[in-house]
Amino acid sequence: MVDLAFEIETEALAQVLDSLDYFQVLKVAQTASPGEIKAAFYRESRAYHPDRYNALPPTPFKDNAFKIYKRITEAYVTLRDDRKRQRYLADVTGPDRDRKLRFDEESEQETKAAQRRQIEEQFGQTPKGRQLYQQAMKDLEAGRVDAAVRNLKTAVMFEPANARFKEALAAAEKKVVHDFRVK
Amino acid sequence: MADDAVAMGIDLGTSYSCVSLMIDGKPTVIPNEWGDRTHASVVSFLQDGSVLVGNAAKKNIITNAENTVYSAKRLIGRYFFSDEVKKAQAMMPYQIVEGPNNAVRIRAGGQELSLPEVSALVLREMKAIVESYLGREVTKAVITVPAYFNDNQRQATKDAGRIAGLEVLRIVNEPTAAALAYGFGRDVAQRVVIYDLGGGTFDVSILEIGKDVFEVLSTAGDTYLGGDDFDDRIMTWLADDFQAKHGLDLRQNKFCLQMLKEAGEKAKIDVGRDGQASIFIEGICQDAAGQVMNLEQSLGGDQFNKMVMDLVQRTFKVCDEALQSARMTVGDIDAVILVGGPTRLPIIRNSVKHYFQKEPIVGIDPDEVVAMGASIQAHALLDETTAATSTLLDVTPLTLRIGTVGGFTEKIIDKNTPIPIEKSKPFTTSRDGQDRVKIKVYQGEDNKAEGCELLGEFEFTGFRVGYRGDVKIDVTFEIDSNGIVNVSAADAESGQKTSTTISLSSGLSEKDIEAAAARNARTKVEDSIEAVG
Repeated sequence: MVDLAFEIETEALAQVLDSLDYFQVLKVAQTASPGEIKAAFYRESRAYHPDRYNALPPTPFKDNAFKIYKRITEAYVTLRDDRKRQRYLADVTGPDRDRKLRFDEESEQETKAAQRRQIEEQFGQTPKGRQLYQQAMKDLEAGRVDAAVRNLKTAVMFEPANARFKEALAAAEKKVVHDFRVK
Repeated sequence: MADDAVAMGIDLGTSYSCVSLMIDGKPTVIPNEWGDRTHASVVSFLQDGSVLVGNAAKKNIITNAENTVYSAKRLIGRYFFSDEVKKAQAMMPYQIVEGPNNAVRIRAGGQELSLPEVSALVLREMKAIVESYLGREVTKAVITVPAYFNDNQRQATKDAGRIAGLEVLRIVNEPTAAALAYGFGRDVAQRVVIYDLGGGTFDVSILEIGKDVFEVLSTAGDTYLGGDDFDDRIMTWLADDFQAKHGLDLRQNKFCLQMLKEAGEKAKIDVGRDGQASIFIEGICQDAAGQVMNLEQSLGGDQFNKMVMDLVQRTFKVCDEALQSARMTVGDIDAVILVGGPTRLPIIRNSVKHYFQKEPIVGIDPDEVVAMGASIQAHALLDETTAATSTLLDVTPLTLRIGTVGGFTEKIIDKNTPIPIEKSKPFTTSRDGQDRVKIKVYQGEDNKAEGCELLGEFEFTGFRVGYRGDVKIDVTFEIDSNGIVNVSAADAESGQKTSTTISLSSGLSEKDIEAAAARNARTKVEDSIEAVG
């Protein structure tokens, strides 16, 4: 038989389950060590693993315990993996917390896509554009301003919408004018 | 728990099965009336419509070859078009035919049977052994399967249990059961590896065993590698040699093939025990002149080791994989446990010792330990007091995937994820007025669908109909404690469950199972004494 207090606790937990993050599900601090997370998984498994209640007839309690346990394994899978945990922690401490309580590989894919966008913005979307931009940066460093301007102009031809390229071109062109005046 | 509540643990093996019960708090292997503790997983269909099961049936593999079914586990839960089925068709003396929905059927004794029906006859024998031992009916059981079995194979095994009149409390992984038996009553905190080489399958599991928790960290396997493959090597060698000497290919005749197979198995056991084997098959065939010929050979230990070295090496590839998944090296392992008859071979023991740099644990019977573990779990599952017994934390062995466009798949649940677990994924309609959504579910490690095992095609209907992209349904994939996959869907907006139909599956329908159970109960199992005599 199941202890009445535990039955009530289980029902309450099942009701609020969708508003809890994985740290709360495992009842650990956000700073918990991997050892503490494992210990918490064991502790919660002892309490909620469906094997324990297998012999009981079907009851709402059993359904609740099963629902909770599936969330416990889900929490453990995410928090035992350093990379996923870091990403998840950022999710649940960020502004979108309510939408990101359940870790999704998709949000991981989104991050990758965002990272890719960032790199593209920084260095250009086309291989030729990136190459020309990088060459121009090298030219500038070496003081070959004319060459830099030429390369940046071509880069802008490849990516007319790239603000960074246009900015760099404008800056480089200014330099050319300035140098001329000094002479 | 009620005093009379008992449940058995059954190790349903490719070659041999074993059954165990908890008696006075101890897992105990139950022998049959003749004292046999393991029973050949062989079913022989006799002329009068009755069947013979177990060690007595094994004797019929040669005399009643076409109607004697063995190694059914190699075929259970597989599609007719799979490689394993093609291979079996060439090897097996019994007929393997195609059933509905790409299923496999066995034709023997004038009837067509599904694989779960064949396995059910073996399970019924195990049930009978326990019942005659206790002198009363027992209907609850835990059945073990290789850890690397996919959902189709697990489901088919569970169906077999139901057909045999058993309430299957749980499908447990064989290596996990072995670990449970090893850790039972032993207060240890260890990381153990279970090296389980059975008759037809190979599994490796790495577990962390604590005081009352058994956590599977990773599992890996090969469902196409087992002791049978060792026999085949000896068989091929014998046949090639015979052909070279006498110009006759013994493999052309299924009768000769069976004699060779039996000789191969015996030679493997002898060479493992004595370091060498003498092979003698009397009257294996006749030459062109009608002269009866014998086959005589001797096999040395080194010669045998050379024959099977690549098979042994293949097992360590799987060990590498398991260690990698658990993020461990051999140095992290505290104990190595060997399971399965073939692990008695010195070449296996020595190679395992070298690989893990550790002497394997002795004093564990590799044939019985799985059944013992199953009975421990069966006992725990019956416990109504919900007392804190050992908690078993197992994992899913294969990545769960869904089919996407162009024959590719997308990961849903990774392999080695603890179970039970669930994962939801939103889907939207792609046409205006669409009233059904179909998804194909796979298991495997290939991102192409063709490299994975199809579990089924699920069709959802009964959700709100609207413009394309407007309707959203949440599909939930659940893997339960048996490692069995359940798929359900709900309208994302209303939360209303949609109805799900499986339009493609290798399994049996509820109606099939009930019909098979009734048929099975009618089948008369011959008392083995008549056959032995």
